[in-house]
Amino acid sequence: MDEGMPLLFEEFTLNPSRPIYEQFVEQIRARIVSGIIPTGQRLPSVREFAADKRVNPTTAARTYQELERSGLIVTYRGQGTFVTGDMEIIGKARAELARAAVQELKRTAKALGLSVEEMLELGEKED
Amino acid sequence: MESNNEGKEREAAVSCIDVSLTARKKTILNKVSFEVPKGTITGLLGPNGAGKSSLLRIISSLATASSGTVAIFGEPAGEAALRKLSLLPDRGGLPGWQTAAQWLAFAKGIYPDWDQVQCEQLTEDLKIASHTRISSMSRGEEARLQLLTCLSRTAPLVILDEPFTGVDMISREQIASTVVGALADGTRTFLIATHDIREMELLFDHLVMIGNGEIKAARKVDQLRQQGKSVEAFYREVFA
Repeated sequence: MDEGMPLLFEEFTLNPSRPIYEQFVEQIRARIVSGIIPTGQRLPSVREFAADKRVNPTTAARTYQELERSGLIVTYRGQGTFVTGDMEIIGKARAELARAAVQELKRTAKALGLSVEEMLELGEKED
Repeated sequence: MESNNEGKEREAAVSCIDVSLTARKKTILNKVSFEVPKGTITGLLGPNGAGKSSLLRIISSLATASSGTVAIFGEPAGEAALRKLSLLPDRGGLPGWQTAAQWLAFAKGIYPDWDQVQCEQLTEDLKIASHTRISSMSRGEEARLQLLTCLSRTAPLVILDEPFTGVDMISREQIASTVVGALADGTRTFLIATHDIREMELLFDHLVMIGNGEIKAARKVDQLRQQGKSVEAFYREVFA
């Protein structure tokens, strides 16, 4: 990438038993939402991304398609692909991630037979 | 007219129907049938001695099957198909007494579809030292030079037979990156035989499993992962 902000965490390892594009989408989405990849940042081309990560080019293309569909990245013909500058879209994606995390939290609490509040309290307690 | 074009679009890069090979009463390939879809990176996977190299030699028109048919982009394999494919054979055979530059100049002369611009770009990407004598290259360097030779041609089908055997990690990574880069916009098709799955599993989109001279399975990698299976796990399932 131009300004040296990698799309993925350095130590990011892929799980070969899950669709690879899903893992890329999750990573990049989280990095856009948290601002690690700033708005307006230019992304590498699909081909560069695939060659860099040594994945099938269709995997890279699919990753970009999914991110484009959610509006987080935008492609301008002849200019390249960029992180959206639309804060509303980024806010929406952030809310979605938060909702998913809370759902997960609720599931874990339920499995432990606790309410979310009880679990948080228990989890924060020092021994 | 339109349906005609569509048919062309979907035409396989390689199509094998009931390909058998017998040598000295021994069956090496037994009614092998499969297709390599155009524009894919297809992995031909199987243990050593499964018949991968024999099959690739037949597909590359370097050997003839005892029975069955092989088509390359819809045309029968044979001398005329040679211009459509570029083969990296198992165990090199580059002339050790030449330097990389001398070899590439020679290759340029023998291949009518040589692309010099591409060759120079790849020399840089693959970090080939032009003035090193081939006999004094490491296995990794020689493998990179072989790949460079293969990809400097514009042939639409690239066949790599065990491109990673004895190759160091950095060379493996460079080879994998180069293969991805060379796939361009789906105008090329790769058929790659390997028993070294971990290196390549993220590259493949199609798999053909061969064991004891027979096709054991053919799958889309996407579908495997949707079911929570890695290429490696599937390989174990097929060959365990």
